[in-house]
Amino acid sequence: MRVAYWPGCVSRGFTPELHGSMALVAPLLDIELVQLDRACCTGAGVIAEHNQELADTLNARTFALAQNVDGAELMMNICSTCQGAQSECQERLDASAEYRAHVNETLAAEGLSYEKGLDNKNFLWLLVEEIGLDELRARVKRPLTDLKVGPFYGCYIVRPVDRLGIDAVERPRDTYLAQVIETLGGTVIEYAGSHKCCGFPIITMNKEASLKQAGRHLGDAVDADADCLVTPCPLCHLNLDLQQPLAERTVGRELNMPVLHLPQLVGLALGLEPKELGMQRHVVKPSSVIDWTTSVVAGVGT
Amino acid sequence: MAEAHKPPQDFTLRLRRYDPESGDAPFWEEHTIQLGPHRSVLEGILQAKARFDGSIGIRCSCRAAICGSCGVRINGQPGLACHTHLDKALAASRDGVIEVEPMGNMPVIKDLIVDMDAVHWKKIQRVTPWLINKEPIPEREYIVPRESMIDVTQSMACIQCGACVSDCLSMEVDPLFVGPAALAKAYRFVGDPRDAQQFERLKDLAEDPHGIFDCTHCFKCIEACPKGVAPMSQIMRLRRRATGDHHIVDRNNGERHEAAFVGLVKDHGLLWEAELLPRSYGGNNFFGKFAPPSALELIDSLPVITKALLRRKVTPMGALKPHKLPKDDLKQVKRIYDTVEGRDERIELNLYISGYDEDVEEAPA
Amino acid sequence: MPAHDVLIIGAGLAGQRAALAAADAGASVALLSKVHPVRSHSVAAAGGINAAINPADDWRSHAFDTVKGSDFLGDQDAIEIMCSEAPGEVMHLEHIGVTFHRNESGELDLRAFGGASMNRTAYVADITGQAMLHVLYEQILKYSDRIDRYEEWFVTSLVLDDDGGCVGVVARDIRSGRMETFAAKNVILASGGAGQCYKPTTNALICTGDGIAQAYRVGAPLMDMEMIQYHPTTLAENGFLITEGARGEGAHLLNADGERFMEKYAPNKMELASRDVVSRAEQTEINEGRGVGEGGGGIYLDITVVDRKRVLEALREIVNIGRDFAGTDITREPIEIRPGQHYIMGGVKTDINGATPIPGLYAAGEVACVSVHGGNRLGANSLLDTLIFGRRSGEHAAARATGMAMPSLGDDQLRRDATEIDDIIGRERTGRRVSEIKEELGVEMNRNVAVFRDEAGLRNAHEIVRRLKEEAKSAYIDDRGTVFNQDVLGALELSFMLDCAEATVVAAIERKESRGAQFRTDYPERNDEVWLKHIDIGRNGDDVPEVSYSPVTITQWQPEERKY
Repeated sequence: MRVAYWPGCVSRGFTPELHGSMALVAPLLDIELVQLDRACCTGAGVIAEHNQELADTLNARTFALAQNVDGAELMMNICSTCQGAQSECQERLDASAEYRAHVNETLAAEGLSYEKGLDNKNFLWLLVEEIGLDELRARVKRPLTDLKVGPFYGCYIVRPVDRLGIDAVERPRDTYLAQVIETLGGTVIEYAGSHKCCGFPIITMNKEASLKQAGRHLGDAVDADADCLVTPCPLCHLNLDLQQPLAERTVGRELNMPVLHLPQLVGLALGLEPKELGMQRHVVKPSSVIDWTTSVVAGVGT
Repeated sequence: MAEAHKPPQDFTLRLRRYDPESGDAPFWEEHTIQLGPHRSVLEGILQAKARFDGSIGIRCSCRAAICGSCGVRINGQPGLACHTHLDKALAASRDGVIEVEPMGNMPVIKDLIVDMDAVHWKKIQRVTPWLINKEPIPEREYIVPRESMIDVTQSMACIQCGACVSDCLSMEVDPLFVGPAALAKAYRFVGDPRDAQQFERLKDLAEDPHGIFDCTHCFKCIEACPKGVAPMSQIMRLRRRATGDHHIVDRNNGERHEAAFVGLVKDHGLLWEAELLPRSYGGNNFFGKFAPPSALELIDSLPVITKALLRRKVTPMGALKPHKLPKDDLKQVKRIYDTVEGRDERIELNLYISGYDEDVEEAPA
Repeated sequence: MPAHDVLIIGAGLAGQRAALAAADAGASVALLSKVHPVRSHSVAAAGGINAAINPADDWRSHAFDTVKGSDFLGDQDAIEIMCSEAPGEVMHLEHIGVTFHRNESGELDLRAFGGASMNRTAYVADITGQAMLHVLYEQILKYSDRIDRYEEWFVTSLVLDDDGGCVGVVARDIRSGRMETFAAKNVILASGGAGQCYKPTTNALICTGDGIAQAYRVGAPLMDMEMIQYHPTTLAENGFLITEGARGEGAHLLNADGERFMEKYAPNKMELASRDVVSRAEQTEINEGRGVGEGGGGIYLDITVVDRKRVLEALREIVNIGRDFAGTDITREPIEIRPGQHYIMGGVKTDINGATPIPGLYAAGEVACVSVHGGNRLGANSLLDTLIFGRRSGEHAAARATGMAMPSLGDDQLRRDATEIDDIIGRERTGRRVSEIKEELGVEMNRNVAVFRDEAGLRNAHEIVRRLKEEAKSAYIDDRGTVFNQDVLGALELSFMLDCAEATVVAAIERKESRGAQFRTDYPERNDEVWLKHIDIGRNGDDVPEVSYSPVTITQWQPEERKY
């Protein structure tokens, strides 16, 4: 399937391994990624905090660009924060024809216009809803047997449920990570912090509170005996992996908890090599903790 | 509509009991009640109280989600017991039993009753929760724009139930955080044209390290609130007014962070992380990274920076040179910025007030 | 022992207003409430507050509407005071920060309400009571150095001295179970109504008539207890209130034939006739087989005729209620309602300053009967009543306190009350459960003492109430603890409710006419010659209510035929 692909900013900045692994995984799932090179940052909620109309207009532009991609079935992102920030803007744009017309006025000079009702899905949702878990399971080459994975969703993709189309019965999107882990052969680790906040939004405003959150949730995962976490959000990844040494300092305990990007976990199961997936670039080396069974290649990150 | 008349069925409640006089630890207790599926968890608990054990402690009064007494956690989610339907609670339960426990972030007095004075009300008092009149006070009513009173209705809708405080993730790690309920209440005054101290209130809460910039933006309070107050949105409005309208530059890097983020996207179209951090500390310009606060921060983050460089997660070139949008697209972005930011007044669409167009039934898929 | 110039029981609108007025007048104030003040039932009041603030309006018009609404049982001197002081009070509320809705020019907007000859109801969406209560509480916090708050304290009894004056109360700290005697130069009852005597009721679980019964027990007479208001639009399933504001915005009432039947009963005011008229109309339609819903026991309230944007702006709360409690989107389909118990016009008899015949004992708000509502209360007059008489009683009590010596109290009554509580806790499980008795009381009152009454039904109700009173003496509870023992408080509340219920039934039997909310099918006409008077209920020492009468004060308006 062809998707209008919004990779976000951070995947091309501080988490290049995410961008790279997505590029490798997509063809294995028959996803054609048409990257929206012309689109700009979603604002991550910060631009909306500054000026709602600005965030709505910038994202409407992105939506319009996506809608212009020939043959694209939907728009896809690889970041919980992008998903949440865009969904918030889209909710406003879709709710009021008057407002939408007003925003489109600003876009008119570029010949762009957003039409209500864009389908915008995070890779996680796409896996479950478009590709389907059965299909995914069928393509698994290297089942992640005995790998104990803790899901970490990222706030922006699980709250508020109404805006994100989460329904306990029809679309239990806040359980998808667990479902994907199981489909890939792994064991889901339940722990207190799975749906909580990594702390990234306040890393500059209250560093201690920010890292305490990261540290606690990582610690909870350690206590629950997880081998690693997996997250669909690179901003969460920054606070959980990049900042882990400082998080350890803040909560006063060693953590040693590797954090994988979702495409990396999927990539491993689909048969890609850890180095291809950029896993050696993580600040917290996955190799020092993960105990792969014989069905999984050992020696990651060496 | 036929839901209202469905016959009673069995529901099992698992209640968290705690008797402070016994010396025992809290424990779970199950009761099976019979009610129509559309009835509330509170009615279920009251039936258990009436039939089985009158000592079950829960605050309740109006039964109609207006007094705010019955704040609890149901299946791990905060909310009002009277406002949660039994069938929905059953659907959301993990094992077919509806779990009810007291709210979080506040000490438990007995069973489902928490000490709100110790946390919730203390924080409300922190924001000077009364109108400080603009003088002179007119003889008749203040004449104020119609929209302004409608605007603060959202904040005024708060019934002080504590559900937002219960699950605030910032408060969980930082108990001194002023919190969603108190900050939503603060907006009620900042947004009220009759208040004389809007700047002072904003400055106070922006400069407080546990104030408006301590909110971790996790949406928990928006989800918890049974009245649509959306406390986090009120906090964002406070930030917007503090930085945008009153140009308050706080010591917590809140304004600088916002300015840096917004500015970097304008200049490059994409976020330049390497610049974002130093500018948040040192100021939103080229020299920001050289300012002392920024330098200190960089030094503090050395363990992280060195590891990131070693692993080649971040390369020096990658950090020093941002990736940009193509030239024409960047021009478009800049033009959008100029157009929107150049308006006389900010446009803020608040769906709480305006509602949704007729044919929008659900959120976008 | 805490000692104050003015002690106020109940922290709803009347209680908080009294506290602020007394503190303003320099008195030391204690404010006791069995729930946190913002949980008081005033918070549920929705539609608005009446005041003739429009320059084209006249408070005398408001007063006449009120007199007519009361079916001429209201005391006109009190009504004049309430209506003339209303504009000033509403302005005061606006000044302290109530976020009233505005019209296009930024002035207070006024909406239509039942029984009003012109639009004079100021409002905050449909959460007027909540907005006012929270703003008053903001002021209470502001003046916390002048007002001592005792939140979650349950008053068990009033204390009188040997001269028969009220000198304090005995109360229980619900959190710790500790009992305390409070000395006070003046006590103001602001403890609200007694809706829990009925099932269903719009009233909260805390509305158990505590103050009415406590005043009655120390010899203060109750007045107009038979006047129980059934609100026309309560949710059919659970009795929740749908504000009159909906009809004020233009909503229609429809029967099973889809007709706006109010045409037959009140051709002028239609849906905005006074509440007793509308409730009776609905009940008649239901009784005559034109009701809607399962069993034909309801009526449709059609809000779809109101502009959707306006509904979201001004009737947000009932959108929520419809969605959350009835599974109905009121902007798209009619909602099923029926008359339900809502308010008690009667209460502790007071004068225009809130003073009862017992020196030092005042009452204000729904607990009191001045009477400004007479046989039927107009919508949006209750919020006004609480504030005007809350303020007046606070001021009057503060003035009375100056120059008075602080009473000194012993411990006897505390020990009596503590023993009573211990006895209840220690009861054997031989009788009935408290909750069972309460349930039966509610169902029976709603069956026999509702919109349409007759001798047989009332006598039946009286027998039942007396039997339940007996049974209550041996009713048992489960909770034997001291911390937050809600169970034992429930037993005390039950006994208060039974006293209120009995007074209501006795008064209803006594009044052999139909007036205002009392409609007797055996005496369907209003009879001014014999019955233009208040029925007072007193206690003659033992547990038997005694009936007497008091005159209705008439100043300007002679009784006339009441048509809407």
